[in-house]
Amino acid sequence: MSRSIWIVAEHQDDNLHTGAAELAGAARSVGDHVAAVVCCEAGSTVPAQAAPFVDQVLVIENAALSGYTAGLWAQGIVGLAKESAPAAILLPHAPLGRDLAPLLAARLDAGLLTDCLELQWEEGLVGLRSVHRRKLVSRERVATPIAIATCQRGAFAASPAGDAAAIETASVAIDDTAARTRLLSMERAEVGEGSITEAEIVVAGGRGLGDAEKFALVQELADAVGGVMGASRPVVDQGWVPHDRQIGSSGVTVRPRLYFALGISGAVQHVVGMRESDVIVAINKDPKAPIFEYAHYGIADDVFKVVPAVIANLNS
Amino acid sequence: MRIAVCMKAVVDSQARIELDGDGNLRQDQLRFEVNEYDLYAVEEAIRLAESDEGHVTVISAGTADAVQGLRKGLAMGAADAIHVDCDPDDLDASGVAAVLAAALHDGGYDLVLAGVESDDLGGSQVGVLLAEALGYASTTLVVGTNEPVDGAMQVRRELEGGEHANVQVQFPAVLTIQSGINEPRYPSLKGIMAAKRKDLAVKGLADLGFDGAPARRVESLGLTIPPPRELARMLEGGAEETAAELVRILREEEKAL
Repeated sequence: MSRSIWIVAEHQDDNLHTGAAELAGAARSVGDHVAAVVCCEAGSTVPAQAAPFVDQVLVIENAALSGYTAGLWAQGIVGLAKESAPAAILLPHAPLGRDLAPLLAARLDAGLLTDCLELQWEEGLVGLRSVHRRKLVSRERVATPIAIATCQRGAFAASPAGDAAAIETASVAIDDTAARTRLLSMERAEVGEGSITEAEIVVAGGRGLGDAEKFALVQELADAVGGVMGASRPVVDQGWVPHDRQIGSSGVTVRPRLYFALGISGAVQHVVGMRESDVIVAINKDPKAPIFEYAHYGIADDVFKVVPAVIANLNS
Repeated sequence: MRIAVCMKAVVDSQARIELDGDGNLRQDQLRFEVNEYDLYAVEEAIRLAESDEGHVTVISAGTADAVQGLRKGLAMGAADAIHVDCDPDDLDASGVAAVLAAALHDGGYDLVLAGVESDDLGGSQVGVLLAEALGYASTTLVVGTNEPVDGAMQVRRELEGGEHANVQVQFPAVLTIQSGINEPRYPSLKGIMAAKRKDLAVKGLADLGFDGAPARRVESLGLTIPPPRELARMLEGGAEETAAELVRILREEEKAL
């Protein structure tokens, strides 16, 4: 019997998120039939964008689904899943999945595995999850007829694009008066000069820099190497730099030619946003900092001694 | 406004994490601390309550290790606390949500706040599961709240890459709170002393109508220590030497500069 795995397509402004191909790859690792569920308004091109990565596209069309509203998307997907009973539904471990996956789990009486690094099938969906600050890996199995999982970005190989799958419009009624949350507006990130995702060289700093004033050293090195300044979450939370500089989960993912991590310990939330960089240099006082496990070159020393010496060396 | 805040005792970030012969986490070396995200939730609740003479209850499901977190919540300014006394190892996320819902359902809360996830297990699902068990609305990753208007609140959700969504949420609702929304206060000495006199109710699963732990939807198949990753090529020597060597490598070997 074929095992059907659904992925929930993530999209914005009629653009399918690049993570959808990874999610399709994750679904292929445990299923032999992969369907993308697309919640959108009529006329959207997202279903056609998803079609090359999957075997079937199921479209839930309604004018109220153009932006993401948890309750309405859940209504549509739950209605469809109760009819068709897929073995599992996968979502990205990102704002969409972190909001929607537990809603689906609750309404389908399904077990949920979050932030999975790997999926297996062993009498049910098995997920490998990193726990206790990456010191341990936990294997967990969903014990309910339908399984829900969210997949870590970058953890699964993308499914290659193939022939476009058939697109079917599902007939699911959406009652938009039932929504108790409503999307009022989106605040877009400012995309301007020095866009961090386009930069060839990124110089990122972490809490180890100490304070906002000392953080200026990160910009100094960025200027010296012709790169763009970035930061880890704690720095943004402290308000030393604006949120659009944040690298990692809930920030941006970067893949520059050269990445400097200054005073960054290497929490998983940061690492997922930079581990694919071509060359990674880490400078951190703590020789045991996990960032050295991701870096190609490491210096376990005081950032305030090494970085000025690097700048002097570049200028000489 | 009546607000409840969910708190969790998590394994201390500095605790030694080791497995015993059966692959179970060695309990004897574990120390617990309050989940950091929950402190942002407590702070946000106290601020919201301060502006309209509201009432904040902190709640935690767990062993006696949960009590220190509740005391901290009380010392920060919560009015009372509920300790659901249970072994969290018997519960999966849906079970935790079920016992919290049983303890909160007749409390008449307008809002329930919780941290976005726990520092140790990172499940990031109890908040929304709790909302569903209570029949409340929910929204996640909240980095900003506004004054409630007509039984609803406008909140700011953090998306990726510097984007945000402004979402209207009807009460009663569960919000999961993201770090950076505020700066959690340190309990004052006066707050710590006052906390000792505040009500901390203890409820067992039987008191909440459960006959044993709720059935699991997710089962554990075991813990393993991940294989060590290959370390970076570490450059040794004084700052002048390592800096010069780094620049040489990046220029000559990697041709990255």
